[in-house]
Amino acid sequence: MSHTVDIPQSLKDSLRKFRFARRNAGSAAIVVRVNKQKLIMEEVETFDDISPEDLAEELPENSPRYVVLSYELVHSDGRKSFPLVLINWAPTSSEIGLLTLHASAFLDFQTTADVSKVIEVRDGAEGLTKQTIDAKLL
Amino acid sequence: MSAPEVHALGTTPITSHAFNGDRSQVAVSLNSNDVTIYSRQGKEWNVTDTLSEHDKLITSIDWAPNSNRIVTSSQDRNAYVWQETQDPQTGKMVWKPTLVLLRVNRAATFVRWSPNEDKFAVATGARAIAICSYDEENNWWVSRHLKKPIRSTVLSIDWHPNNVLLAAGSADMKARVFSAYIKDVDSRPPPSVWGERLPFNTVCGEYSSPSGGWVHAVGFSPTGDVLAFASHDSTVSIVYPSGPVIYTIKLNSLPYVTLTWTAEDSLVAAGHDCQPIVFSGSAGGWQLVGTLDDTSTSKSNGGTRGFGVAGSQVGRLNSAAFHTFRQADSRGSSSPTSAAGSGATDTELLTVHQNTITSIRPFSGSAEKVDQVSTTGVDGRLAIWDVNNVAELTGKMGALRLH
Repeated sequence: MSHTVDIPQSLKDSLRKFRFARRNAGSAAIVVRVNKQKLIMEEVETFDDISPEDLAEELPENSPRYVVLSYELVHSDGRKSFPLVLINWAPTSSEIGLLTLHASAFLDFQTTADVSKVIEVRDGAEGLTKQTIDAKLL
Repeated sequence: MSAPEVHALGTTPITSHAFNGDRSQVAVSLNSNDVTIYSRQGKEWNVTDTLSEHDKLITSIDWAPNSNRIVTSSQDRNAYVWQETQDPQTGKMVWKPTLVLLRVNRAATFVRWSPNEDKFAVATGARAIAICSYDEENNWWVSRHLKKPIRSTVLSIDWHPNNVLLAAGSADMKARVFSAYIKDVDSRPPPSVWGERLPFNTVCGEYSSPSGGWVHAVGFSPTGDVLAFASHDSTVSIVYPSGPVIYTIKLNSLPYVTLTWTAEDSLVAAGHDCQPIVFSGSAGGWQLVGTLDDTSTSKSNGGTRGFGVAGSQVGRLNSAAFHTFRQADSRGSSSPTSAAGSGATDTELLTVHQNTITSIRPFSGSAEKVDQVSTTGVDGRLAIWDVNNVAELTGKMGALRLH
């Protein structure tokens, strides 16, 4: 399968580190973007203990991003687990070329990050709330 | 007291016009897919440029005075931003278009730059207004939609001086004020009479006129504290949001389709009646003052009053014979007698504009005190009026000639 966008080793290491970091409380997130000029993926920033609404505020309104979220999930019986969720942040107002590139490289990123649960957020800040994530995971 | 300056730019209707910052050029859409730019040379306007990119009729043009960019909207569901750049091969200044994807599935009807010229709003038939701003990161114009609660085509829009609020008149018979606050482009606006803390797509007010009817034109006053709108039930309404108080002026004439404020207490509206009408008032009440088109003065042969067409200075080209042939060419009337004489075959109006005025814009003066306004209409004429030249609306029922 052809790879349009390369994933540098440094990014793969960051993802591994993020995956195995011990979590006690709060949701953490790592935000990755596609660099159109160099055709590589690069890490933008990492958040420790951020709520879904704050994360939606931080993400750009007009650019696609991949977000690996370690979400603090509270089950109905009181247990707390920290599943990994992949958010495909792809607002429709983004530039078309970048959006297509982002979509084509998404499957690649998913296998690299090794995350099975995916949430698509296409409409911007309204689509990323605690309710939507809980609905997908529970 | 100066007579209006009239220029016949063509015989096709002018859908929209926009002057540049120093009023030396005007961009006009002659009911076609192209923008024609006229430059002022002496007393006349001559074609200097044609901008072709749109696939369908251009519905609206706006020219940003400070950044010298033109934005055009068209029935082909797109908008283009034109920038004057130097052509690398010839060294001349050419207009280079940048496509703006509005992401709507209906025609765009109206477009206006914001006061700071960093955004523009496009009214569309898709029951939405696209607010477009430039995204530096991706080198791309990004559009966000104002959708709720618009139920039909948006016909006209006007920006508030604070660069955030937007008034929209729609075919669902309502005039609304929206907040078009874009996160990375605007700083938090100070609270105004329309509200405070205004996230994108907040409706600050929704107004309609008593008998309903499409809202053809909306306009904020120079300070932005008052809203005026003209609707199809032949009324002009002025809204003071702090009450809220709405003054509705009902008229005997045909509806108005365009309006502009000339001062905090007066505005000029024009439309199917073919003449600009002045209204004046304050928070205590509003009334009709008069018309800018003095139809009571006697007109010479064929009503060529103040014509800026070439040859009007030269006597020999202005004789009756030449005029007869000019009439026959432009209007198809072959009557050899003067227009004022024949009754049954005469189709000429007493007003300067021979057909609906579709667009009225401030021409000179500041926003708080406009001295001249420019109008274009379906008759293909561009006229520049002195705002202080107000005549009383005579009992001639506007432009209708009664025998």
